[in-house]
Amino acid sequence: MLPSIAIAKAVAYADSIALMAAGITLIYMCTRTFNFAHASFVTWGLYVVYAMTMLQGGSPYYYLPLAFLFVGVLGVAVYMLVIGPLMRRGASPTTLMMTTLGVDLVLLSTIQMFADFLTRTYRLYARRVVLEVYDFNTLGIPGITYVSLIIVVVLIAAIHWFMVKTKFGTAMRATIENPDLSSVLGINPNVVYIASWFIGGGLAGLGGGIASLAISGDPTIGSRIIVSMFASSIVGGLYSVYGSVLGGLLIGLTEYLGIMLLSTQLGGWILTYRPVIPLIAMAITLLIYPRGLAGINWGKALLRIKSLGGRTWK
Amino acid sequence: MEVIPPIVLYILVDFSVYLIITLSLNMEAGYAGLPQFGRVLSVITGALVAGAIPGRILALLYGYPHGAEYASYEFNYRIVNELNIILEQSPLLSIGVFLLTLIMAMMLGAAVGYVTSRPAIRLKEAYLGITLLAMGDVVMLISLYYSPIIGGTTGVMVPDPFRWVGPYRFTAATLVLLTLSIVVLIVVERLTKSPFGRALRAMRDSEVAITVYGRDIARLRTYALIVGASIAALGGALYTFYTGGCIASTYTRLTWTFWPWAFMMLGGTGNNVGVVLGVLLFVIVKTFIVTYRGVLAPYVPFDPVWLEYTFVGMAIILIAMFRPQGIIPERPIFTIARKKIERIFTTLETPEEIRA
Repeated sequence: MLPSIAIAKAVAYADSIALMAAGITLIYMCTRTFNFAHASFVTWGLYVVYAMTMLQGGSPYYYLPLAFLFVGVLGVAVYMLVIGPLMRRGASPTTLMMTTLGVDLVLLSTIQMFADFLTRTYRLYARRVVLEVYDFNTLGIPGITYVSLIIVVVLIAAIHWFMVKTKFGTAMRATIENPDLSSVLGINPNVVYIASWFIGGGLAGLGGGIASLAISGDPTIGSRIIVSMFASSIVGGLYSVYGSVLGGLLIGLTEYLGIMLLSTQLGGWILTYRPVIPLIAMAITLLIYPRGLAGINWGKALLRIKSLGGRTWK
Repeated sequence: MEVIPPIVLYILVDFSVYLIITLSLNMEAGYAGLPQFGRVLSVITGALVAGAIPGRILALLYGYPHGAEYASYEFNYRIVNELNIILEQSPLLSIGVFLLTLIMAMMLGAAVGYVTSRPAIRLKEAYLGITLLAMGDVVMLISLYYSPIIGGTTGVMVPDPFRWVGPYRFTAATLVLLTLSIVVLIVVERLTKSPFGRALRAMRDSEVAITVYGRDIARLRTYALIVGASIAALGGALYTFYTGGCIASTYTRLTWTFWPWAFMMLGGTGNNVGVVLGVLLFVIVKTFIVTYRGVLAPYVPFDPVWLEYTFVGMAIILIAMFRPQGIIPERPIFTIARKKIERIFTTLETPEEIRA
């Protein structure tokens, strides 16, 4: 059926989308901002890894933490300079969305300038980023598949531990539930918001760094895959980080593998319509179950599935 | 040979097209408060109509291939060249085709607006914005990759209804565009001052209040989206006629959704005159960046064309932060003249016996 290398690549791609979607959801949950700038966050993550690998040498994996940090700080800067002041003035969600779009355009132009700079000063092919050759290979499967899977699992466990076990995580959940009430209890919502932008931005940077090894990148890669990220976030339910990770894995895998399966059945022409798949998944979610994967009561759903075979009458 | 310098023509064309589209956006986003992040959808609808239909009608009339092969890059330029020779000799036919296409574009635009209104009456804020954005992307992708409509990635040529004017073709076309954009401005201004426009503003400010006054929110949203989409489709069709070609990759969400948003925010959300000013300012600055980028090029280690993005992005951020109402803020609507209001008040205040 499908070659194992394609499945491995699909897993790596889905992992990166899952991390990006988790970032979008976290930022949306905390600050009610649907972040368009995530596109450029991801691209910056990719370019940090690319530029460091090219200029400093070594494996791209060394620079993944740097991508997390760099874009996390970028996220904090965006919050402190733009989103925070707007939120304190009571801007509407649409205004916030539009403003993150302005941020995205500015960041996109800085990426384009950086790519020009890399091309002219260091003679790199900065408009076509391919880092696959720097990856290691185990059992015929590229290393990024293992590494990205481990990163997703570890990070989700870490976020869960952080949210449930630490005091700051509890404060964060309280602020998400009710900002006014939690500030009465002495929690500074501003710190929580900054943390959410740091983690959310960092996840985008990390996702971009993983994407640099999984797919080939260019300065507009973020704005091309942002629809997949949004779709994952919405399929996940927009109110749960775990849901968005699940949504990201689902969307990434269907997008990558689904279109390959379809092309073996229907012919190669369908490959160009790949970006339509996340949109269809999103449309189905919004039409049938707008609360998304995280909104499903799994216990109840399981019971219902079990009861389908057994009793039919009372 | 042109009487007006090309840079002025360029500014005027961009101004007219973007004015039409930004006015339609202002109606949906500024007045009705809908997060219309899929403006490109109706613009591309207009472009599709102009790219696919007039050429096919003429090809059918004059016995050229008009099916899928019309859009094929092997035949298209030959067919359109032949059609242009016919159009050049017949001003009446040219005008007829032009008007018919515009009407069809507006009708199909309205249909698309109706389709987008179905999710719009259920979803809100971010969900609706993303849904509209996604719808625009899907139509763009399909028209880009499905070649029988407008030639896919190679695009199609469009029969030129201005050719009979002769050497002043571009000037004439620009003036037609400008006139139509002013007509649209007047129509939108009248429409937004009408009871319908005021109901839209009331819905934006308080859905509960407008419901109490007996207006149906779903219906208001549907009408706003239908009217807005049909105006935007007109803009798309006009742009296609002006450029004489149609290729789907021109219609990205950046240039036809986000830029109009920036223009609207700069000029004044919910103020049509402000929108005129915003579009004019942006188009002039954009044109100067593109025209004079060569001057800046030796001093910076990158292509100065990217400054256009920085400029638009910074403008959006700074407006949202420091002047959210735009250059010309929204004003309350006075439906009747002040004198008339005063007269009504005096009659009300005068006691019964004196009035009689």
